[in-house]
Amino acid sequence: MEYLASTLTFTGISLIGVLGAYLVTGLTGLFSFGQAAFLAVGAYVSAILFKNFGLPLPVAAVAAMITGLIAGVIVGVPTVRLRRDYISLVTFGFGEAIIAVLNNSTSITGGATGLSGVPQYTTFPLVLVSVLVCLAIVISYKNSKYGRQCLALRSDELAARSMGINVERLKLMTFLMASVMTSFAGVLFVFYTTYVEPGAFGWVVSAEWTIIVFVGGINSLTGAVVATVLLTGLPEFLRFASEWRIAIYCIIVLLILNFRPSGMFGQYEISLRSIKQLFGKGA
Amino acid sequence: MTIQLLINGISLGSVYALIAVGFALVFNILKFSNFAHGGLMTVTAYIGYVASLFLRNYISDLPLFVATLVAAALGGGVLGLILERVAFRRLRDSNSSVIYYFISSITMGILMENFITIFASSNFYSYPPFLPSAALHFANLSVAIPDLLMLCFSAGALGILLFVLYRTKIGLAIRTTSFDVNTARLMGMDPNAVVATTFFAAGVLGGISGVFLGINYTLYPQLGQLIVKGFVASVIGGLGSISGALIGAVLLGVVEIFLIGLVGAGWAPVFIFVIMLVFLLLRPRGISGVVVQEKA
Repeated sequence: MEYLASTLTFTGISLIGVLGAYLVTGLTGLFSFGQAAFLAVGAYVSAILFKNFGLPLPVAAVAAMITGLIAGVIVGVPTVRLRRDYISLVTFGFGEAIIAVLNNSTSITGGATGLSGVPQYTTFPLVLVSVLVCLAIVISYKNSKYGRQCLALRSDELAARSMGINVERLKLMTFLMASVMTSFAGVLFVFYTTYVEPGAFGWVVSAEWTIIVFVGGINSLTGAVVATVLLTGLPEFLRFASEWRIAIYCIIVLLILNFRPSGMFGQYEISLRSIKQLFGKGA
Repeated sequence: MTIQLLINGISLGSVYALIAVGFALVFNILKFSNFAHGGLMTVTAYIGYVASLFLRNYISDLPLFVATLVAAALGGGVLGLILERVAFRRLRDSNSSVIYYFISSITMGILMENFITIFASSNFYSYPPFLPSAALHFANLSVAIPDLLMLCFSAGALGILLFVLYRTKIGLAIRTTSFDVNTARLMGMDPNAVVATTFFAAGVLGGISGVFLGINYTLYPQLGQLIVKGFVASVIGGLGSISGALIGAVLLGVVEIFLIGLVGAGWAPVFIFVIMLVFLLLRPRGISGVVVQEKA
C-alpha cells in the first residue's frame, strides 16, 4: 500500500512537470531542456529556506516559486525574440549552469553529495490536490484566448503576428507559467524525498518530459496525462529490465514520430461531450 | 603564462570546432538543431576504443592513433547514414514541421547514449596510451604533444571539409540544397543523396571529435553531452554558419581555459552560460551575422 502511494505520488509530481512541458511544447511549440533545472530551483530554494533559515513552509514554497519566476525571466527575455532553436540551446545551458552552481556552492547546497535531512511534509492527498489545481489551470489556459493564440503562433508565427498577436509576450508568459509550475513541483518533490542531489535534474529528465508530451500527442492534454501515467507509473510496477526502459521509450517515440506524428491521442480531449458521443456511437 | 593559456585554449577550441562544424553542417541543410550529434560522438568514441583494442597487437603509437581515428570516423559516417535513414527520411518525405525533426534527433541521441550504457555499462574506460605524453618546449612555453596532434588533426579534417564544401561539385550540391531544396531538385540533384552525404560528413567529424573527447576526458556514456560546447560555439558564431562555428569554437576554447584559470573548472559552465546569454541579448545573430529564417 505504501509502495502504491509512493509510486502515485512520484507520478503526480512528474505529471506537474509534464504539464509544464506541455505548456511550453504543446502550446507554443518551444523546447525546453531546462525544465528539470526549474524543478531543482524549486526544491533547493524551498529546502534551504526552510532548513537553514527557519521560514515556515508556505513562505518557503512561495519564495521558491518566485525564484523560479525570476530564473524564467532571465532565461526567457533574451530568447523569446529569437528562433525556436535558441530557447532549447539556452535552456540546455541554463540546466548545466544550475547543476554547476549546485555542485560548487557546497557550503549551502551540500554540493555533489546532496542536501539531506529535509522533513517529509508532502502527502499523497496534497499531491493529488496540486495536480488537480495545476490541471485546472492548464485546461483553462488552453481554452482561453491566450491558449488559442498560442496554438496560432505554434503553427505559423508570422501569420499569428500579422493577426495582431504579441508573439514575444505570449511566449514569455507561457514559459514563465511553466517555470513557476515546475518550481512548485520541485517543492513537492523535496518535501517528499527528504533528499536532493544535483545529478537528479539533468537535461535527460527535461527531454523525457517533452517526449512524454509527444507520445500523448502534442495537441492533446488528455494524451499528456495518460502518457505520463503509462510511462512513469507503469514501469515502477513492472520493474523488469529497468535499464531498457529509456531505450523502449525512445523506440516508441521514433515509431510514433514516423508512423503517427499526431501522437496517441491526436486532437482528442476527454470531456463530457466526447464521452456522450462515444456512447452515442456505440448504441 | 598568458600565451601558454592561449595555446591551450586554441587546442581545446579546435576540438570544439569539430563538434560545432558537424552540428552546423546538418543545421545548414535541414534547418534544425541536431541533438543526435552528441549520441553519435559517444558511440564513435566507443567504436574507436574497440578498434584500438583490436589493433594494438599489430601497430602502436602514431599509426595506432591514426588507425583509431580512421575507424571512428568511418563508424561515425556510417552511423550518420543510419541516423538519417531511421530518424529523418520519413519526416522529410511527409514534409513534417521542424519540431518533429527536433524531437526525433533528441530521441536518437538519448537512445544511442542508452545503448552504450546497456552494452558497455556506465564504467569509465580509457584509451591505450598511444600518444607520447611528453611536451615540446619553446623558450618557457610548453605544449603537450597530444594537444598539438589534436590541433593538427582537427585543422586537417576541417581543411578537407572546407575544400570539399567550397571547391567540389558535391560541396556545391550541399550548399545549393541548404539554400533551396526545390531549386536543387529542379537542377537535377537528388536531395536524398545530398542529405545523406551531409550526414555522412557530419558523422565523420563527429567520429573524430568523439575520439578526441574520449582521450581528453576518458570514456563514459554521457561523453556526448559535451555537445553543448558545440551548441554554445554555434550560438556565438551564428547558427548554421560554418566559418562562424569555427571562430566561435576557438573563442569558446580560449575563454574557457582562461575562466578555468580564473574561477576554477566547477564554475566555468556558469560563466559560459552568462556569456552566451549576454551574447544573445546584444548580438543574437552571432558573429557571422547570418539571419536564418524558420523553415516554413
